[in-house]
Amino acid sequence: MGRIIEEIYVWGLPVRYYHWINALCTVVLFVTGLYIAAPVLNPPLGEAVWYKGLAWWRYLHFASAFIFIANFLFRMYWALFSGDRYARFGGFRPWSPAWWGKPFMEQVESYLFLRSEEPNYVGHNPVAALAHFIFIFCGSSFMIFTGLAMYGENNPGGFSENWFGWLIPLFGGSYTLHFAHHLMAWIFPVYVIMHLYAVFRHDVVDRTSVTSSIITGFKHKVEEEPG
Amino acid sequence: MQSNQTFADLFRARGVSRRDFLKFCSLTSVYLGLSPSMVPAIVQAMENKPRTPVLWIHGLECTCCSESFIRSSHPTIEDILFNMISLDYDDVLSATAGHQLEDVRRKIMKEYKGKYILAVEGNASTKDDGVYCMVGGDSFLNTLKETAADAAAIIAWGTCASFGCVQNADPNPTGAAPVSDIIKDKPIVKVPGCPPISEVMTGVIAHFHTFGTLPELDNLGRPKAFYKTRIHDKCYRRAFFDAGMFVRSFDDDATRKGWCLYKMGCKGPTTYNACSKIQWNGGTSFPIGSGHPCIGCSEPHFWDRGPFYSRLAEVPFLGSDSNADKIGVIAVGAAAAGAAAHAAVTAVKKAKSDKLDNDKA
Repeated sequence: MGRIIEEIYVWGLPVRYYHWINALCTVVLFVTGLYIAAPVLNPPLGEAVWYKGLAWWRYLHFASAFIFIANFLFRMYWALFSGDRYARFGGFRPWSPAWWGKPFMEQVESYLFLRSEEPNYVGHNPVAALAHFIFIFCGSSFMIFTGLAMYGENNPGGFSENWFGWLIPLFGGSYTLHFAHHLMAWIFPVYVIMHLYAVFRHDVVDRTSVTSSIITGFKHKVEEEPG
Repeated sequence: MQSNQTFADLFRARGVSRRDFLKFCSLTSVYLGLSPSMVPAIVQAMENKPRTPVLWIHGLECTCCSESFIRSSHPTIEDILFNMISLDYDDVLSATAGHQLEDVRRKIMKEYKGKYILAVEGNASTKDDGVYCMVGGDSFLNTLKETAADAAAIIAWGTCASFGCVQNADPNPTGAAPVSDIIKDKPIVKVPGCPPISEVMTGVIAHFHTFGTLPELDNLGRPKAFYKTRIHDKCYRRAFFDAGMFVRSFDDDATRKGWCLYKMGCKGPTTYNACSKIQWNGGTSFPIGSGHPCIGCSEPHFWDRGPFYSRLAEVPFLGSDSNADKIGVIAVGAAAAGAAAHAAVTAVKKAKSDKLDNDKA
């Protein structure tokens, strides 16, 4: 086997914390969200006053949602102001035709098995950057905005309603907004499958220890085995 | 009817005591969500302002709003309120008909130019010049535009006039459009509901009469006093919702115990109305009180957000029996299958290239 010839510190501690808090919140939010939409458990018989059967699920959903939002905002701050080169939006310029040029196309071709040489990146490759932009940035923003709009319904005239209540007429009513929030939640398990697959595959093909890098922060370059 | 009568004149003419009149005024302030300090303002308006003329026109609708309105059931008071509105034109309730009635409408429009309230029940067909709703020899679309031109304000009664209701449910063959889609230059109060609660209807008129302005509206144009909170928020079964105690079928024990109807498709959590607060027929009951889930009749496009008895909507363009969860599960399955296929190709390709390397060596 090839020797490890270089260690690269890619994911700083704040980025790793963000990743795992985000992962945990996403799972909790998805599960509690589905439960709120279809509460399956029955409480034991007795008076309603003793039970918090659905209230606790909602509480968990809201609490993890606020952690999710804070975490998301922190990550945006870190991307914009930290100066950590692998945490920035580094070179992600989808509005510029140049960004969709050679590196992006090479990566797409590689994923489509049209190239034998697979490009290798220390940070995110351009396709990964695009996927994260769509699923994590846009997806999370959508869920946060629609979620806060619905949260505002609990307290008319409160902060959430004043700042995000405009989304309800935009979606054509509260029910449609709930529906959109519910439907969009499914992009997260889709993303998780693609994300895990891509990570494991890159680890196997490129041998850069990308899987453990989100725990340790380090990626490794492996020396080609002398033939 | 004698013109320029005030509400108080009418009360006196009908033998209502001053005490009852003041009671009516304070009750109105409660319905309008106003503080007790506003009661004198209401009394003042009721005693001194001439009654506001109301032209009530009917388009594509079922008259359930009128039916609700005339069934206001706190006996004397609401009957009086009904009589107090100077309801100068209503093609359903008027004794006269035909040209006589249309002349009254035109006369009021001229005499009270810019001062009358136009109450619209139902909506207008807009396809093929509105031929799908002809009233008094003209299309309702034309009548609506003509009558709205000189109105001080428009009240859109019911979900039809507010949002479209069943007439503009998919596929909307007559091009039915709510009032706000047709009239853009007048203040419009939307009083949705199929039908709206009678006390809500009378409350909106009383507010306009008292203050000369429209009540405070929410972001969908509905009076905040009645549509600020969801049915869910004031529902007497809310405790069962929070406890997770649900009716699962209409013949189970939970139904008899009156548990939450959320799992039976209750739209209370997404429906803004005062049903759980004011209730119907003089506070007798409301749908959830009678054991039926809310169908969300005061929400836009509630017909297309079905089925009524399931929480999660069908996706209209994918046909019935499709919902967000089914789409989601298919998407997740597709992603997993894609990943597996990709992994298989990767493995084959890697095996090949490894073999090639070995052969070379």
